[in-house]
Amino acid sequence: MDQINVTPLGVNEAPEMGSAAVVLIDDVESMREGCQQTLEEEGLQTAVACDGMEGLKLIESLRPKVVLVDLKMPGISGIEVLEKIPEIDPAIVPIVLTGYGTIDSAVESMKIGAFDFLTKPFEPEKLVETVRRGMELSQLRYDSSDVLMEAPKEKLTQEEVLDKQDVLLKGLSAISEGYSIGLDQSQFIGELKRLESEAKYHARSLGSVKDRERAILAIYNDLRMVDEIIRKHDYKKNNLIQILLETQQKLNWLPGHVLKWISGRLHIFLAEIYNIASFYEAFSLEPQGAHIVKVCTGTACHVRGAPNLLKKVSSILDIQENETDTNQMFTLKTVNCLGCCALSPVLQVDETYSSNPSLTKLKKIFNSLEEQEDCR
Amino acid sequence: MTKLNSIKDLENIKTACGLEHQRKPITVTVCSGTGCASCGSTDVADTFLKEIQRRGLQERVSLRRSGCHGFCEQGPVTVIHPKETCYLKATPEDVPEILEKTIVEGGLVDRLLYVDPQTGERIPSLNDIPFYKYQQRELLETISAIDPVDIRTYFAVGGYSALSYVLTKMTPDQVIKEIKDSDLRGRGGGGFPTGKKWETTANAPGEPKYVIVNGDEGDPGAYMDRSVLEGNPHGVLEGLIIGGYAIGASKGYFYIRQEYPMALNNVKLAIEEATEHGLLGKDILGTGFDFSVSIHRGAGAFVSGESSALMSAIEGHVGEPRPKYIHTSVQGLWGKPSCLNNVETWANVPLIINKGAHRFKSMGTEGSRGTKVFSLVGKVNNTGLVEVPMGITLREIIFKIGGGIPNGRKFKAVQTGGPSGGVLPESLLDLPVDFDGLNRVGSMMGSGGLIVMDEDTCMVDTARYYTNFLAHESCGKCIPCREGLRRMLDILTDICNGNGREGDIELLEDLAEVLREASLCALGKSAANPVMSTIRYFREEYEAHILEKRCPALMCNKLIRYWIDEEKCVGCGLCEKSCPADAVSKVGDKLYEIDESKCIQCNACFAACPEKFSAVQKTNATGKKAEIAA
Repeated sequence: MDQINVTPLGVNEAPEMGSAAVVLIDDVESMREGCQQTLEEEGLQTAVACDGMEGLKLIESLRPKVVLVDLKMPGISGIEVLEKIPEIDPAIVPIVLTGYGTIDSAVESMKIGAFDFLTKPFEPEKLVETVRRGMELSQLRYDSSDVLMEAPKEKLTQEEVLDKQDVLLKGLSAISEGYSIGLDQSQFIGELKRLESEAKYHARSLGSVKDRERAILAIYNDLRMVDEIIRKHDYKKNNLIQILLETQQKLNWLPGHVLKWISGRLHIFLAEIYNIASFYEAFSLEPQGAHIVKVCTGTACHVRGAPNLLKKVSSILDIQENETDTNQMFTLKTVNCLGCCALSPVLQVDETYSSNPSLTKLKKIFNSLEEQEDCR
Repeated sequence: MTKLNSIKDLENIKTACGLEHQRKPITVTVCSGTGCASCGSTDVADTFLKEIQRRGLQERVSLRRSGCHGFCEQGPVTVIHPKETCYLKATPEDVPEILEKTIVEGGLVDRLLYVDPQTGERIPSLNDIPFYKYQQRELLETISAIDPVDIRTYFAVGGYSALSYVLTKMTPDQVIKEIKDSDLRGRGGGGFPTGKKWETTANAPGEPKYVIVNGDEGDPGAYMDRSVLEGNPHGVLEGLIIGGYAIGASKGYFYIRQEYPMALNNVKLAIEEATEHGLLGKDILGTGFDFSVSIHRGAGAFVSGESSALMSAIEGHVGEPRPKYIHTSVQGLWGKPSCLNNVETWANVPLIINKGAHRFKSMGTEGSRGTKVFSLVGKVNNTGLVEVPMGITLREIIFKIGGGIPNGRKFKAVQTGGPSGGVLPESLLDLPVDFDGLNRVGSMMGSGGLIVMDEDTCMVDTARYYTNFLAHESCGKCIPCREGLRRMLDILTDICNGNGREGDIELLEDLAEVLREASLCALGKSAANPVMSTIRYFREEYEAHILEKRCPALMCNKLIRYWIDEEKCVGCGLCEKSCPADAVSKVGDKLYEIDESKCIQCNACFAACPEKFSAVQKTNATGKKAEIAA
């Protein structure tokens, strides 16, 4: 994130220098003063308003990055302020402040666009951290609106494209750090393989983008998609596994930036998320090929020749179990039981099942998928 | 869609659906379970629909896309009612002929009928096919009679009558008593008495209470639950609502594996339909009972099917078991009393209420009442789902219903109870199948997988397979299970690779004892069953591997080799075409040869070589080519 340059605000006027990064709207004076002091100590310029009307005026004139708004106020309510903010500037990130016992309305407000909520009383560190995350999102929104709203600029074509070698080198330096902290050899090799495949994935997607803004947009779109899923699950911590499953389904793997994002959104430690993501078979922490080839290794399939089928597939695709080919086309996996035991041995390619496919049939399936991908 | 506000509303809609059901004299049922769907049943059904309309038969003939018929290997299964004419492996091209000959003329399409392999006779009616004839289909009957994504077809066969009866005519205590009287035991593996479990949760202190469907069917080789969830989601849901009423829970969960997309989808639709009809939600049928249901997708971990692990997963944590000093039925989900039952158990509940506990009790044996669905798979002629009364012998299931072993091979063993079960030899084939009978011989009922193995299946490899499975699925929380299984796997792999040492068998027995004594949950406690039962019944196979470096079943890769018999080979080239590794190549004019340095031992050439030539040979690696040929 630290490499992103601050770009002008797209279609909107650039804010004046020295203007506020944060606008805080609350009817309680002590709250206003306390928060303002905390934020300004952290170098975040903060303007305050005591009701919704005044607040909206401030937002209109200052164009802050983040708005902190109390839900319960005399006059215009926090919800109404929330509804108006996108009309002023969709890049502004609203955060809701709420008293104890009104969590439901806070969740409600997140559904209509609030980025997060803080339950009073909150720790100053919590406030700063949440505002900072809001600022990051706002920055992403500015950057991407820039890409979306403006015609491609000429200078972008000359910008340096991050090449594969760079990515691999970065990966290797990260590994050597891992080595120095005492990973043993098999862990080291495992980690090397993981990073290599991740690096390949990034090199490929970076190679296909012309400029960094587009890459940022891609990440932003990932995060927006994840937000959509989290919202659908009502921001409930116990839905974490369901959220991860849906994310995996959409992206085919769970990239680090997405897991960090989910950690921040649901207030769950990143370690806990990794604990779950590495426990269940369904999740992949490595990028996978465009098509998932699964050989069922259930008992019924095993006695009717699943190991032989696996060998055949592995030989045709020239990859081992749990590997992805160099074109990022196929990932070969095994699955404990697909519940198609009567048709054993069973092969599943994406959503299609086939019962004991012959060599010719296998080649046909893989070739047709490759052709499809080429057409794209 | 109308919300049903009273029992009377439900009666009305049921009558209407029943009449609608009978309005057309002929019904074409096309099985749309996962098995048949992968054999192209969707296209067959679509073609039927088009052809019925094109011929103007829509007033006489209706089309139903039903759940699994069980005879998956012969799919797609098409059944034409009322005569129950059964056509197997029909393609869209066959559809016009079926309509013309069977529906218009009342005749048969001979080539699509089931042929009895013993007599060569063609059998037209579904119920005369041996696979169906010897079954007692109580639960599965509904599945083949309804369209799982249309609640009206479930109403038409009397769906939700049990619920309305329970809500109006029974107190929760009476419902529990009825289930207790039926002697229903849990179908998931443990065989715990269901009524007793319900009573414990109902009496446990703490509110709210939860009821949960365990659809995390993890046993490899078993797919009953998948078919029931896909084919009759309303039946399971009805059982769950009744359970909720009896126990005093107003919230239920379905825990379903994400590997079962169709089951997830059909259950989701069933919940939506039931909610729209007022069968879920507040004040169900005007009786004041509230009940709602959510689905939790399992993310793929065998151990998560264990009750405490499953509940931990619903709470959003890693699905690891906890020590159960206090049962989950007293302190389960979020520390509240929670009643967890298997899919098949819940699906039996409406049947018991509708037909009475005494009827359920009249089936099966002392201690194991009712019917049980088995997934009969592996090396058997008729693979599929079979429902039989408890107490039937293994021989009847495998030879009468299953039609014996294919390709004239000899029966060797049958595996029951999944990875926690055991392997049973031919001498135990006359054993009656029930909970206690199987336990006595070192296996268990499990969720109902019956995997048949013939003489080409290696028993040491089978033990290695299950141990490998369990070693991967062990959550790693307790040491005996984590380390013990890993060691057992190492030893078994060595034996399979020809590196076994004398004393290995005794070492395996020692480790098995530790696992059974010291593991935390049932996964570890029963993990040694496959190894122990194979040693018990097939010790000579272990010894052949260890002492003679020989695999009697010719299955262990490191101990066998493939080669082509020059005298038998006619040069047809099928082996070359089937080889994925380019290891088979032509030598001279006619003959083929296998390059052993390239051979990946995938058995493709052996399978491809026509039986009348049998030129591709598979032999033990230690034997000399010439000796074996002679």
